[in-house]
Amino acid sequence: MPGLVFILIIITSFFFTGIVIRTKSIFSGRKGPGIFQPMKDIWRLLQKENVYSQTSSFIFKIAPDIYFASVLIAIMLIPFGTQKGIFSFDGDFVFFAYILAVGKFFSIIGALDTGNSFEGMGASREALYSFLAEPAFFILMGSLALLTGYTSFGDIFNGIHFGSYISYAIGTLASFVLILIAMIENSRMPVDDPKTHLELTMIHEVMVLDNSGFDLGLILHATNLKFAMYGAIIANLFLTPGREWYFSIPIFIGVQILFAVVVGTLESFIARFRMSHNPQFIFTITSISLLIFFAVLLILGKYF
Amino acid sequence: MFGYYLIIAFFVGIVSMLNRNRVVRILLLGLFLAIQTAITIYAYFHLNESNTIYFKFDALGVIFMCVLTLLSYTTIYHSFIYLQHRKDSSRSQSIYFAALIILIIVMTCAYLASHLGIMWVFIELTTLSVAVLIYHERTPLSLEATWKYVFICSIGITITFIGIILLSIAIQETEITNFSFKAIPDQLLHVSASWLKMIFLFMIVGFCTKMGLFPMHTAAIDAHTVAPPPISAFISTTLMNVGFISIFRTYSMFAHTSILPWMNMILFLCGLISIIVSAAYLLKVNHLKRMSAYSSIEHMGIAAIGIASGGIGYFAAIFHMILHSLVKASVFYQIDQFHRNFRTYMINETGNYFKRNLPGAMVFLLLLIAITAMPPSGLFVTEFWIFKALFTSGHFFILVLALFFLSIAMYSLAKNFLYILFNQTKNLLPAEEKPNPTETYSQYILLALVVYLGINPPAGMINLIKDAVINLP
Amino acid sequence: MTNILLIAFAISLIYMGIANRLSTYINILAVQGIILFGVSFIELIQINTINLIFILFETIVFKTIAIPLFLNYVIKKNKIVREAEPFLPDFLSVVIITCIILGSFILSNIITGVHIQKMFFLVAISALLSGLFIIITRKKVVTHIMGYLVIENGVFILSLSTGNKMTMLVNTGITLDIFVSVLVLGVFVNRIGNTFEEMNVDNLTNLKD
Repeated sequence: MPGLVFILIIITSFFFTGIVIRTKSIFSGRKGPGIFQPMKDIWRLLQKENVYSQTSSFIFKIAPDIYFASVLIAIMLIPFGTQKGIFSFDGDFVFFAYILAVGKFFSIIGALDTGNSFEGMGASREALYSFLAEPAFFILMGSLALLTGYTSFGDIFNGIHFGSYISYAIGTLASFVLILIAMIENSRMPVDDPKTHLELTMIHEVMVLDNSGFDLGLILHATNLKFAMYGAIIANLFLTPGREWYFSIPIFIGVQILFAVVVGTLESFIARFRMSHNPQFIFTITSISLLIFFAVLLILGKYF
Repeated sequence: MFGYYLIIAFFVGIVSMLNRNRVVRILLLGLFLAIQTAITIYAYFHLNESNTIYFKFDALGVIFMCVLTLLSYTTIYHSFIYLQHRKDSSRSQSIYFAALIILIIVMTCAYLASHLGIMWVFIELTTLSVAVLIYHERTPLSLEATWKYVFICSIGITITFIGIILLSIAIQETEITNFSFKAIPDQLLHVSASWLKMIFLFMIVGFCTKMGLFPMHTAAIDAHTVAPPPISAFISTTLMNVGFISIFRTYSMFAHTSILPWMNMILFLCGLISIIVSAAYLLKVNHLKRMSAYSSIEHMGIAAIGIASGGIGYFAAIFHMILHSLVKASVFYQIDQFHRNFRTYMINETGNYFKRNLPGAMVFLLLLIAITAMPPSGLFVTEFWIFKALFTSGHFFILVLALFFLSIAMYSLAKNFLYILFNQTKNLLPAEEKPNPTETYSQYILLALVVYLGINPPAGMINLIKDAVINLP
Repeated sequence: MTNILLIAFAISLIYMGIANRLSTYINILAVQGIILFGVSFIELIQINTINLIFILFETIVFKTIAIPLFLNYVIKKNKIVREAEPFLPDFLSVVIITCIILGSFILSNIITGVHIQKMFFLVAISALLSGLFIIITRKKVVTHIMGYLVIENGVFILSLSTGNKMTMLVNTGITLDIFVSVLVLGVFVNRIGNTFEEMNVDNLTNLKD
């Protein structure tokens, strides 16, 4: 059933942020809200009416919808173990990266459209960081494609399970990189702090200052979806092939919960970087994925 | 025999470290010189006999061993003078002489080592033992120089070790892996050229720290500046000979493989850039010891070019190193006396040395002629041969460049030496003590030797050098 | 498994590029010691026991415990500022170290005709060049020593790649390693610390023309 993973990701997205927040509160010694509290907040926002500034144009109105839609389309590409996603074709990970980029582009020009100088600043930072994180994702997917010999998500994750320790080792390294990419793409801790209250230090939050009501709800839920999406990619690296759904689904959910706990832990123990330290941190991820690429080349014995 | 030498000499070194009595110290040094002379003579008459697995009295090693033994006499003599005038404590004198003895022993071992790994170990040991001597004056400056010297030499020696590991990887597929200089060339015949080039590059960069060639020349300069002058004489001559021997042996190791032209190119580059760098610094240098150090680097560059040009160049390079050792050692011995006269090494704070110390000034004047390779000096002959080798091998461009920068270096050396000797514009303080002419005798002897060897080289030496280069193409 | 450890070693080199506290450098060196322990244990399990114990002792006791503790002691005793103070921005450092790894990769593929485990070669050359890079671009004497230790680690990896045929070579290298490190670290660092106010290369520029 191709739609299974789509439904699973949607379900995961409902409690993902809740687990992150719960982990953080436990580490800081508080009881914390229930794990569905973020979802309840979003539901409350979705029922509200939008308020638009008079200076903003139609771009500002359509940007959140396109952003949300792009994330949904990207999710449709994610496979589930041996099952392919709703769409699957050769080179679909390129499409995946660029459909997300389209969403990001719209959220950036939506932010610029408000004419608010803070939002412009946030937009430029967001653009810079995505720009730096993009090579990391491509090199990582490239090494996986090289390892398996296929170029679509479904085939790559199909082929990666040849059982030797190398695939799991590469999988561990790849999930390390993917976690970091997910943290950057979702504007989480070492790079950005969603809890910050000073506009000058914000990145993503400052971009959505003018959004309200339904639009804000969409944007917030898109973040949850993206987290669940990256979690699904990581889970795919560890799904055992040839097993029935009653094995795969618990593994999937387990990996997602683990991912959320890891994110929460990281956020509890890592201090936020100075703004000037962010580019080198993000570039480090590219370097690491480049290393993985070389390692795959050397292990396979494919030289130029 | 060599084993006995090592044991006795090390024993003498350790005893002289513990000893605090002046008479005993002189006796011990005399004993050591006797042992050193004995082993040198023994080595000369037992050429190419392998005593242990790791050491061999081969021609190249014995030549430089003779130079070392000759210079040990003068260096120990001038060290006595130097320490006497500094009024150092008996303890620091003991440490000084013990380190000097150990340095001479490990240099002898480095010359005679017939095994790559052993040579490498002893080169590392020369760094450590000479560090103690460089740091003798215990000033912040000497600390700085010692730190730099040890650090750069350690990095250099590590890089060489990487070269040795790569070499071992290259030859581990042959039947027996053997690191003696005799066995390595045969095992290298099957190794690919790119791999050989890499090995050569790593090894040469490391050994350049010792020889003072271009990429790693900086360490030696600072060490020369602060070391006691007799030790500077050693660093500049016998220690650089260690580097020369290691480079020469490495070169001979690879000489029969396909990378010979490439190797020559690398050595041309190192040598030529060394000459250019030293000529550039000589133009602005104002510290007499640094000036001599840069002049040493220039001569090392000439020797490297000599190796690279092949043919008679091999012969001339070794000859050049011998003569340069004699000349440069006397420069530093005289600098010690000069320093006691003026209390400074800065050239522009001195002058009119002719009036103040006639014998020393004469030494400087003769040294100027010797070191710039003007005709009566033996260096003229060797440089002439090197340039002839360059000419016959068809490297006109390098020849022109080398000659051009050599003349710049010559001009600067002459300018500075003549300033010291004749400048009368300054009112300088009178010297605190009357210069002692007996201190200059050793320099006159060495200079006479340089002239004699240049004009009429003894047949024994010629045969030794010919024997050393016999395996080269 | 060795490959993964070596990749982890290379990642630690990249991390050194962005680390800006001396304590981070020390931790990285300790982690590298543990990685070397793992690699040598896997690679050299077949050689005789005494050599194996010697090598494992060197990696665990010396590289992982003794040197980091000593460096911490030096930093505390001489009241060294905790920042590394590079001459270059960190971003450039990371880019350059990445380029070094890229270059080593290309080099390991250009060189042909000799049977060598390319992963070892790649990581060893990267460690050598990164160590030199750290020495060149950092300001403090202590960071120079750290760069030197990184070079030593690279040499250690390379000597491991000669396999169990060349135990003599490995042991020689290790002995040198201990010898020089103890001397350089023990004697000179403290002397420099006692002589100069601050252990900075700015203090070591009196010798010039």
